[in-house]
Amino acid sequence: MDFLLGGFVTAIQLLLTGDGETYSAVFATVRVSGYSMAASLALGVPGGFFLGHFDFRGKRQLRLVVDTLLALPTVLIGLLVYAFLSQRGPLGGWGLLFTLPGIAIGQTLLALPVVVALTATAVEAMDRHLRTTLITLGVSRTQLLLSILWEGRLGILVAAATAYGRVTTEVGVSMMVGGNIKWLTRTMTTAIALETNKGQFAMGVALGLVLMAIAFVVNFSVFFLRRR
Amino acid sequence: MKPPLYTIRSLVHAYDGGPPVLAIERLSVAAGSILGLVGPNGSGKSTLLKLLAFVEKPTRGEIRFKDRPAAPFSDAVRFQVTLLTQEPYLMRRSVHANVAYGLKLRGRSRDCRRQVAAALSLVGLAAERFADRKWYQLSGGEAQRVSLAARLALQPEALLLDEPTASVDAASAELIKAAVIRARDQWGTTLVIASHDRQWLYEICDDSLHLFRGRILESGADNLLFGPWQPGPAGFWHKPLAGGGVLRVPPPPDDQAVGVLDARAVSLTARGAASPPGLNTLDGVVSRLVLEKNTRRIVATISVGLLALTVKLDPERVQALHLYPGKAVRIHFAPQAVAWCDPA
Repeated sequence: MDFLLGGFVTAIQLLLTGDGETYSAVFATVRVSGYSMAASLALGVPGGFFLGHFDFRGKRQLRLVVDTLLALPTVLIGLLVYAFLSQRGPLGGWGLLFTLPGIAIGQTLLALPVVVALTATAVEAMDRHLRTTLITLGVSRTQLLLSILWEGRLGILVAAATAYGRVTTEVGVSMMVGGNIKWLTRTMTTAIALETNKGQFAMGVALGLVLMAIAFVVNFSVFFLRRR
Repeated sequence: MKPPLYTIRSLVHAYDGGPPVLAIERLSVAAGSILGLVGPNGSGKSTLLKLLAFVEKPTRGEIRFKDRPAAPFSDAVRFQVTLLTQEPYLMRRSVHANVAYGLKLRGRSRDCRRQVAAALSLVGLAAERFADRKWYQLSGGEAQRVSLAARLALQPEALLLDEPTASVDAASAELIKAAVIRARDQWGTTLVIASHDRQWLYEICDDSLHLFRGRILESGADNLLFGPWQPGPAGFWHKPLAGGGVLRVPPPPDDQAVGVLDARAVSLTARGAASPPGLNTLDGVVSRLVLEKNTRRIVATISVGLLALTVKLDPERVQALHLYPGKAVRIHFAPQAVAWCDPA
């Protein structure tokens, strides 16, 4: 167990001394997850609201599809995005393979069902009297939609936190679409996988600690905001 | 005479393609009046209020507001009509923000704190104690009163209340009554109020409307008599009452038919008085006496076993009989005074 303990001590040193390679992976992860979260929230919150609020033909079937996509394997998304972005693929001309935006596309596909499903659940779970109350107070149609979203903000926050947890911890998409290129597309999770294969635990443990810290900050923020 | 605020023509409403839950051929609500809606559960009171609040669009027919067609979200009614539902919803924010919400929508946020405090005081809540409380820091009755304050703050042209006293104590019910009357007197607000508390309604309403199975009953439908009915002697049908006594009625359309009895057709005598032949004679106890606001008559509720019958009396008659809650009395009415509701 000495190698683990030693790895932990070295990990602390890497973080405290500002090791460039370690922080490159941290920043790549933060950037790519920022892109993917922005896209998945922009698309997923309205989509989830639509799915949760309105009644339409095929709603139950659509809900079933979205719920099924929650279990989509990251390697399958990686495979599909790779196929689309490779030179032979329909989007090959965009030159996004082995780039952070390329990884972000895959992670958006990963996070989108989470945001849609949990937002729809949050909207469905809201009191049935909310709509009546808002209309009787004089809202317009637009104000009605915005007010319902605001009332369901806690559920949407939980959806965002859950989706963020999923994108920051995935390996498959980042590895397959990003290529794990040092200083460029290497994220925390792909770096941990690589360093562990090399038997270099220190950097893996250091990045693991950063991942844990991010998870703590996200969950603490949700906890703090829920109390408000 | 003031023009009607609401005019309903050939209205039919159904949910999700089901059978009609409300069918009103014609109805007018005078501006500045207080109209009470009474009727058992499922009679269509809440549905009618939602339609009058333009929360939903009727399946068929038309509701005109100030003699103009109106629909949900239309500018003609959005800021003029408001409804307090039976189970009011408070938004996940402070009491102040809840009461101020409608004011802000109307661009009346100037001097908002004073307006919110004034509205809260109308329902007996001190702003300094309640304004900053969160929605989850209120009891059920307080939440009901905050919701009413949010409507009163708007000084609406039409205020629709669905069971406003259902979850509040007697003192709060009195406060709500005072606030309602003040809204009408100060701002000319038209009120339509649904309540099971008939006495509370009688005290404030100019007129009342009896709904049953989604239809308006003729005026005078103060008592509903439920079956099952059994064939009896002399061509009458009857129903034995819990605690003794028999109710005799004319032949019903079916054994589960619902009878309607006008309170004015019921007479009251002291217990032990001779029973006029051919009339229903039931012994009961006075459970409540209320002054009817518009007629100045006394509305007496008489408990006959599990049956509660409403009787309307002149004040002189009440005085002559020395009526008070708890007094044993005898009531009489002709079986032929019972009419039958439309089975539809």
